[in-house]
Amino acid sequence: MLGLTPRIDPTIQSLLDDRDYLAELLDALGSPLALVLPQRATENVAAFRATFRRHHLSGRVHFAHKANRSSALLRELAAGEAGVDVASLGELQHALSAGFTADRIVATGPKNREFLWLAARTGVTVSADSADELAELAGIVSAHRLPRVPVTLRLSGFASSGVRQLTRRSRFGTPAGELAGLLDLLAGRADQVHLTGVAYHLDTTALPEKAVAMENCLAALDECRARGLRPRSLDIGGGFGVNYLADGAEWERWTTELGQAVLGRRPPLTWDGHGYGLRAEGGTLRGSLALYPAYRPVTGPAYLDQLLGTPAPQLGRPLGELLLDHMYDLDVEPGRALLDQCGLVLARVLAVSGDRVRLDVNARDVSLEEHGVLMDPVIVPRPGDRRTGPAGFYLLGNLCLETDLITRRKVCLPVEPRPGDLLAFVNTAGYHMDFNATHAMHQPVARKVAVYRSGGARRWCLDEQYWPVHSGQDTP
Amino acid sequence: MRHDDITEAIGNTPLVRIDPAVHGLANIDLYAKLELLNPFGSVKDRAAWHMARPLLERAAPGDTVVELSSGNTAKALALLAGMHGLPFKSVTNRMKVPEIKELLLLLGAEIDELPGGSECLDPADTDDPLTRMHRQLAAEGGGYLHTDQYFNQRNVDAHVHGTGPEIVKDLGGRAPDYFVACVGTAGSSTGVARVLRQHNPDVEVIGLVAAKSDFIPGIRTIDEVHEVGLFDPGVYDALETVTADQAIDGLLTLVRRCGILTGPTGGGAFAGALRHLRAVDASLTGRRSAVFIVCDRLESYLSYVRDRRPELFGRPPRRNSVRTLTEAELGAAPVLGIAAAQRHVLDAGGLVVDLRNPYAYQALHIAGSINIADEVFAELLHAGLPVSRGRPLLLVCPVGEKSARYAALLRRMGHPDVHSLAGGIIAWRDAGAELVRD
Repeated sequence: MLGLTPRIDPTIQSLLDDRDYLAELLDALGSPLALVLPQRATENVAAFRATFRRHHLSGRVHFAHKANRSSALLRELAAGEAGVDVASLGELQHALSAGFTADRIVATGPKNREFLWLAARTGVTVSADSADELAELAGIVSAHRLPRVPVTLRLSGFASSGVRQLTRRSRFGTPAGELAGLLDLLAGRADQVHLTGVAYHLDTTALPEKAVAMENCLAALDECRARGLRPRSLDIGGGFGVNYLADGAEWERWTTELGQAVLGRRPPLTWDGHGYGLRAEGGTLRGSLALYPAYRPVTGPAYLDQLLGTPAPQLGRPLGELLLDHMYDLDVEPGRALLDQCGLVLARVLAVSGDRVRLDVNARDVSLEEHGVLMDPVIVPRPGDRRTGPAGFYLLGNLCLETDLITRRKVCLPVEPRPGDLLAFVNTAGYHMDFNATHAMHQPVARKVAVYRSGGARRWCLDEQYWPVHSGQDTP
Repeated sequence: MRHDDITEAIGNTPLVRIDPAVHGLANIDLYAKLELLNPFGSVKDRAAWHMARPLLERAAPGDTVVELSSGNTAKALALLAGMHGLPFKSVTNRMKVPEIKELLLLLGAEIDELPGGSECLDPADTDDPLTRMHRQLAAEGGGYLHTDQYFNQRNVDAHVHGTGPEIVKDLGGRAPDYFVACVGTAGSSTGVARVLRQHNPDVEVIGLVAAKSDFIPGIRTIDEVHEVGLFDPGVYDALETVTADQAIDGLLTLVRRCGILTGPTGGGAFAGALRHLRAVDASLTGRRSAVFIVCDRLESYLSYVRDRRPELFGRPPRRNSVRTLTEAELGAAPVLGIAAAQRHVLDAGGLVVDLRNPYAYQALHIAGSINIADEVFAELLHAGLPVSRGRPLLLVCPVGEKSARYAALLRRMGHPDVHSLAGGIIAWRDAGAELVRD
């Protein structure tokens, strides 16, 4: 059996060990059901802060709200020291209502006038995507006689010298070479906007690309200073990653065998021999694996630590030291990484036939496949039965749609599932919970509950009922 | 030996017997095929020249030679292109050895480093680097000469006509019983194996690959070999893995005991050959012979070895290093707050040394300070005190951590009036004290 065992921390494990508790929740609230663990997010913020401290850096950890719509997670983070990165009008309203003050909110992404107005009215930092957006913001501030708005400039398209570092084209940010134009614009609009820093966000796992971007941004900040501005921060976005799997050897073995299956040298591991981007051409493997690297030894705060220790391509000094030398704060915007081990999705098994398991959940409620993350679910069986296993199964969803497989990979379960069992998709809080959820075919979207500790006991409530004030409080 | 052109020096490399006292095999004569003695330094000279020659003969002025390569092929092609007055461009996502990059830049090559994996997955993005390169070349119009080493049969032919027959000739017209080679483009192993099998159908061919998460320059991993068009698993009687650790062990033996200045690829071939041959040696009754390929030279891989075996580069500790400070000395590092520093040093005509990097210093600094970046300052201190004992001295760094170390060290070295600025220049700024840019 080629399993991909998920990494599970003790809190989630203790839930999985409590079958009656989970079954009761599911009976009351229906399948599928999403569980979030807000207090764990606070621990993740603390781990990022520890990396900041190690490098003597100031600045803020902003939670990228888009990773999960949960109110409980947002309110718990608002109670701590994190900030939040909002990418829509709705997210900004949500953040304000969760208790984030304007100085802890940064507005990013594509923005309409309403989003810009509310950001300006409340005084949150606006990460300007382009000169046009900056001008539109300044126009709104001027027309509505609003106070000056703090802005950062999101840059992209960085040049490297010597070895040319290629980077996927981004639809966001102003080309770094056009900074001077932005600064002219800022100078003309000094009554409406004031610069607090520059930003980049690259959709890549590769440190060398980020090193090029970061060094370019430092040069951009110095250019701002040379123009008499006083920027304070460099925002390096997110992309710190999560390690989903317990065992790197399992990941290596599975991906090797997938290649062999695509070449026809072993039976398929996937529905209809799906290759996840790989294909065979004349006995040679072509294409590239379109999957998230589910096993990643260095992720989250450790990845940030490695980035800060990476020598700048031109100046040679580690990037963290350069930030310190230049007296800039570091802002980061992790989404997935802040939600590591912060939630799971439960689903009920409806029917089993051969190697097919039909579940009362669909691929949009657990959007692992959409985001290319492969790992086995955890089976929470009804007690008492004797079962065969382990074995491989295909997981079919509840939509009347050929493609509604929870994953096209044949998952490995330790025992054969039976109707009434639960499957838990663990560590799904970051992007795999409600990012894609829809009411397609009038199927219910998963209800969401927050599970937390208070007064020495485990408690739960509906996500929207959660506030970070508990009677007999014993925060970890 | 007189040549009209350096390409005539490609090939005809020596086959050198490894001393049995080194390898310890009782029944097998082990030979190294010294491909590192090719003029550009590696086995790739043969394939590069064989693939490029027809392209270069019909090249138009201004054409660019291009290849997906992270090392020796790129090096050879850069030199060959240069001889024909043409530029060379390497596209790569595997160039992990800094010296190779620098060397290629020095040779005039252009290097495009492909982007890393996407953090927010795009399932539609499934192009492999070769496909991506083909598309890029097509988008830019013509003018490219692509040698296509992973699919080009001329890569194999270079060894069918060169390396293979040379080994047979040097063994007195016989093929060896065992042939061991690392698999990169599969060109040399496939070509040599074909020739050897013509002489001796029973020759055992062992292909070496790297473990999946490992990295040995010039060797593909067990998965990556399947992406190579020239790779045919039928060529090899066995495909075995070597680790970077074993490759470096093999390299050290060849370098320190045999006078063969091999890089890690040859080290891996030696280690893999020994492991395989030791397992069969005891059961043999007659004499056997084995050949492995020493692919390239050591000098380009110093950082590769240093990263994995720092102890091999051990040097005696240097004088006056902050690393030698004790906890007690660090605890007693003399520091001054902002007001005290202004009074005691700036107003008294003392010297302020800013230890940050020059660009940061130029952007903003304390008026009247001088900039000696900490790595330069550290070098100066190895030789002794660089500042008069009679002048008050204030050291400044971002947060007062590095400067405290240097203040403690200077105090130990005998400077009576040195201090570190508490909280560094960030505290200075946050207190609203003046910073200038001049």
